[in-house]
Amino acid sequence: MKITKKIITKIEGEATLKLHKNQNIIEFAEIEFWQYRGIEDFLKNRHYNDASVINPRVCGICGHSHLIATAEVIENALKIKITKKAKILREITVGLEIIQNHIKWFYLTLFPSIKDIDYFKALEFSRDIAKIIALIAGQFPHNSYAIAGGITSDLTNLEIIKIKNFLLKMFERYQEIMNIEGYSKDLEILFEDIPKNIGKSLNKFLVLGNNLFFRANGEIKFVNEEKTSSFNKNALYNDKFYEVGPLARNLKNPLINKIYEEHKDSVYTRIFARLYEVNLIFEYLIKEIDKIDINEKNFIKPRNKNGKGKISIEAPRGSLIHEIEIENEKIKKYNIIVPTQFNLANGNKQNLSPAQAALINEDEKYADFIFKCFDICAICVSH
Amino acid sequence: MLDVQKVKQRIAELRKLPGIASKPLSEILEENGFTRRDFLKWSGTMAVALGLPASFAPVVAEAAEVSDRLPVIWLHLAECTGCSESLLRTDAPTIDNLIFNYINLEYHDTIMAAAGWQAEQNFEEAVKKFKGRYILCVEGGVPTKDNGDFLTIGPEAETGLEKVRRTAKDAKAIISVGTCSSFGGIQAAYPNPTGAVGVHKVVNKQVINVPGCPPSDRNIVGTIMYVILFGQLPAVDNFNRPKFAYGLRIHDLCERRGHFDAGEFVEEFGSQEAMNGFCLYKVGCKGPYTFNNCSRERFNQHTSWPVQAGHGCIGCSEPDFWDSMAPYEEPLANHKFESVSADATADKVGITILTIAGVAIAAHAAISAIKNPKE
Ligand code: SF4
Ligand code: SF4
Repeated sequence: MKITKKIITKIEGEATLKLHKNQNIIEFAEIEFWQYRGIEDFLKNRHYNDASVINPRVCGICGHSHLIATAEVIENALKIKITKKAKILREITVGLEIIQNHIKWFYLTLFPSIKDIDYFKALEFSRDIAKIIALIAGQFPHNSYAIAGGITSDLTNLEIIKIKNFLLKMFERYQEIMNIEGYSKDLEILFEDIPKNIGKSLNKFLVLGNNLFFRANGEIKFVNEEKTSSFNKNALYNDKFYEVGPLARNLKNPLINKIYEEHKDSVYTRIFARLYEVNLIFEYLIKEIDKIDINEKNFIKPRNKNGKGKISIEAPRGSLIHEIEIENEKIKKYNIIVPTQFNLANGNKQNLSPAQAALINEDEKYADFIFKCFDICAICVSH
Repeated sequence: MLDVQKVKQRIAELRKLPGIASKPLSEILEENGFTRRDFLKWSGTMAVALGLPASFAPVVAEAAEVSDRLPVIWLHLAECTGCSESLLRTDAPTIDNLIFNYINLEYHDTIMAAAGWQAEQNFEEAVKKFKGRYILCVEGGVPTKDNGDFLTIGPEAETGLEKVRRTAKDAKAIISVGTCSSFGGIQAAYPNPTGAVGVHKVVNKQVINVPGCPPSDRNIVGTIMYVILFGQLPAVDNFNRPKFAYGLRIHDLCERRGHFDAGEFVEEFGSQEAMNGFCLYKVGCKGPYTFNNCSRERFNQHTSWPVQAGHGCIGCSEPDFWDSMAPYEEPLANHKFESVSADATADKVGITILTIAGVAIAAHAAISAIKNPKE
């Protein structure tokens, strides 16, 4: 048996993959992350609102999900109920972040690992999506328009109409990337040279967030973390590993389910679910935006000063958990568990993580691709 | 320095060097639907953004045309990649973007095609081949504690500290992109568990800081253009920030400034005052202490900026802002909360922010609030 070390780059930071092989076939894989920043440490003793400015910097790609999770966990701890209007606007910005993430992942990370592609169109698409977020939130990436109690921006009716038109236009443009019937030319081109059925994993799925149209199938209280030999901490559910992310949360969609029945939890299904999810999010947001009552309040001032909270939302890569303890308006404890900690955990041979399971028994030449199908975020892991 | 002749000479020399682009910029622009006139207009606004006289517009255009001659190496250290995100969405409609694609980006982890070992090899080759000629852009802070072990990169498990020192040695110019590489950034916030610092602290060469969290695409591309134009670093302030971008306070050009002067403040998010678009000073805006051009340039193709969305400026282009500007939703003048690291922060605040002007502003806010009959 031979062990080779592979560095996976282009994934927002870097991961090390140690492959144990027999000939070319992978028998076991170790996954390591060698970056650490210590975000939870410097949240301690600050006012809870500071977290809304600090936490987006966990990640430049999905920082917006961290912002919304931060606002929600504080609201959970201080028992604040926000207005429906604030809620819908937050759903829109989180949904859009997921969309632009998927597009960039497909065209900038995944596709070039197999063949060349002109990614300019994709960049343009994400850029226009980011513009809608900026209309609501001020800028992208990194804004703090959502704070515990609601949002800071005050949109006019005209702006809401503008956003809706934007959404409709972008939805239409997305049909060229993958249409509502699930056809995507670029996806076909990608799979001209690689088999669809590689990368089958644990076939066990977990959804913890209840935002957008996603529904949880588990409870956060059963999630635990465990230390590993590198800087990453594994995330488990009842001491077992589960796959989180777009495939997990969309399994009930008839079209995605059909692909799943045919190809199981392979790379193809995983990529398909992700690209198709964009259509579902567009449809949902276009419906939701009509429900905004412009006369509702943007913000309700928190009254409580103490409390404990723990919440999860569905972020681009899967279930994201934030946990807080507030004492006299100050943060006593903060903990963040990111989706990559579930999918890219470093388990052992008896208890494999989703990515490890997906790699085992596959040819080494597909390792990079299988790995990237999970949309790894090493930056999030190094929080 | 503002000698057009000299700049022209420089560009003529650059033109002689081999470029990496397959065709001239003018052709690329044309293919994307931009006329010569659009391009000149772009050069005009870029010249103004760089603080140059309008007569420089044609030269800026020429510089853009040879921007594929100077190799750029982009390093990622301890960060969130938000800066690259900002850059990947460069300016309206797409001229900056086309130019960024045109720039000779020899090594950038997220957007180049090669990955893993191959990427590492490209990196080594670029450093060797363009020795003494490349522009080094660094994104992310440098962890220094435990010999920098909190960040190791590449197949040789080199620490970020080693890598940036080695790459800086043969760079022609070093640009720190973002607050992380300029001043340590978020990972350097108290108690700074990894000992993160800005690049200028670990190399013994001049470094241009382009702070912001993230900085605007205009400031990033602008600084690179400046180096291409003049072959030297732009004029800087005492924190090594280019004056053309960081010469004015946010407060100076803020659209809510009229309300500040009239003593009309938002006291609580979501209030009637907030809906009226009043000044955000009392809910924590740090615009009066922050040098940057967000109020002029905005973000995402000039769409908006935080103050427009009703949240105060957080002071993200100032050194140590993570500690000195906190809490972010309180005015600096009445720190209701003793800070996380009372002593450490008090020092930093003393040196970097609470200038006389700052104190005066706080006083103004207090007085005008009393005078304002609406209060
Ligand atoms: S400066 Fe801000 S946006 Fe840039 S890498 Fe650092 S945290 Fe991210
Ligand atoms: S304090 Fe802030 S919101 Fe008010 S005028 Fe100055 S920069 Fe604008």
